[in-house]
Amino acid sequence: MDVTTDAKGGFDLSRLVEFGKSIYSLVIVLVLWELVGQFELIHYYFLPPLSDIIIRFVELTLSGDMLYNAYLTLYRALVGLAIASVLGVIVGVLSARNDLVDWFFDPIIKIGYPVPIISLIPVFMLWFGIGDLSKIIMVAVGTFWPVAVNARDSTQQVQQNLVWAAQMMGTSDRRLLRRVVLPAALPGIITGFQIAMPLSLIITFVFEMVAGGGGLGALEIQGVRSFQSAQVYAAIIAVMFIGIGLDRGLRLIRSRLLHWT
Amino acid sequence: MDGRVTISELEKVYGEGAERTKAIEDLSFEVEGGEFISVVGPSGCGKSTLLYLIAGFLDTTSGTIAIDDEPISGPGTDRGVVFQDYALFPWRTVFENVTYGLEEDGVPKEERQSIAQKYIDLVDLDGFEDKYPKELSGGMKQRVGIARTLAYEPKILLMDEPFGALDQPLREALQDQLRDIWNDLGKTIVFITHDVEEAVYLSERVLIMTRHPGTKKTVKEVGLDRSGSREDIVTSDEFAEYKNSVWKSLHEETQTEVTL
Repeated sequence: MDVTTDAKGGFDLSRLVEFGKSIYSLVIVLVLWELVGQFELIHYYFLPPLSDIIIRFVELTLSGDMLYNAYLTLYRALVGLAIASVLGVIVGVLSARNDLVDWFFDPIIKIGYPVPIISLIPVFMLWFGIGDLSKIIMVAVGTFWPVAVNARDSTQQVQQNLVWAAQMMGTSDRRLLRRVVLPAALPGIITGFQIAMPLSLIITFVFEMVAGGGGLGALEIQGVRSFQSAQVYAAIIAVMFIGIGLDRGLRLIRSRLLHWT
Repeated sequence: MDGRVTISELEKVYGEGAERTKAIEDLSFEVEGGEFISVVGPSGCGKSTLLYLIAGFLDTTSGTIAIDDEPISGPGTDRGVVFQDYALFPWRTVFENVTYGLEEDGVPKEERQSIAQKYIDLVDLDGFEDKYPKELSGGMKQRVGIARTLAYEPKILLMDEPFGALDQPLREALQDQLRDIWNDLGKTIVFITHDVEEAVYLSERVLIMTRHPGTKKTVKEVGLDRSGSREDIVTSDEFAEYKNSVWKSLHEETQTEVTL
């Protein structure tokens, strides 16, 4: 009898095996890590055994510290990203549709995009302090560029024929944006969000490491300063999970919105 | 319903200064209401430009284009364009593509649905209403393109090498379908093609354009008896005669191109 069941049967052993195969190499690395730690081939301070990190992770979770710090990091990253998404799409789409807007923003984008934004952390601390506001503004500024550039480029690249087809069928210039240009540019706009998302986490994390004020970056640096290596790695693992989760979420939204591509 | 297209002393120039190229020069002709006319010419003769000028997508440099004596200004729903690359809206289903023009016209939903269904059935796409363009073959996409254009009932169909990207059997099937549609609906059709056989098979007149800058070389009447089957028509002597005469005229143009 076949132990595997079809898609309707719920549990699917072959898929589980497939999944196992796909992470074999990862399992080997993790086991090696544990062994290296257990036999102290590398000093505990540099690389504690995986089990210690997991225990610390669980402790931090049970005490509520992990969730609170994860919440702070997520809040700062997502609010900043949301602001950048709204402004970036507006500026990007208008730049593509209007010569005057493009004339104004094009040099700014050319200069602004390549600037390594975290080099401005001290300036932001000077201007906006070290609290949430400062971090959120920096995330918004840093992630604005990829959102704006992708929105602009994908709007510019909307096929002329689609616009003509709509005009021919009676779409006025005023309605063209909503009826044709935005739907046609949507895949590129979402690509901009996907590029900006990990950037928002990086900026938040680094700012928290430098300026404190809670968050996973602060949790990590606190671990370094108090010689608690397990906490350092627990914070890294947490931000990794958040990154993976957000990426999966965006992919899901993308496939829902763009099922027609 | 009329749908007469009058083109007088049309000129189209692209670019400025050193980049200036004249695409169309001193072109005048008239398409009767309900007529099926093909436009052939060497590549780069401005036949697509001509179509886009009639569509109102491009502005004329000088001269006028009038529909039923009314000079055009920009695109309008009295004309419908069928594009070579289909230009379907990929985020809309087949059905939603076909209803687009009706939505823009403010036609109520129920009416929209029955009209769209009628034209979807007309191009044999029933059963594919909920598919997205990416799920369709080239031939099906172009049938959606035709249904979408017919649905809002323009008087004039402007077709830009619509079957150019399709293989031979499919092209023939769609040609026959288009002939039937023309017979049933009696629209004016301006059909751009580089395929002489297609032009002769489909249309009542063939406009042959000169090469760069494009203008009218000659217009050939095609007085074919089209009552029989495709095989009867294309194997007939008169079909061969018409085809040869268009081909010769066109060939003179391509010859000049080579010797130049």
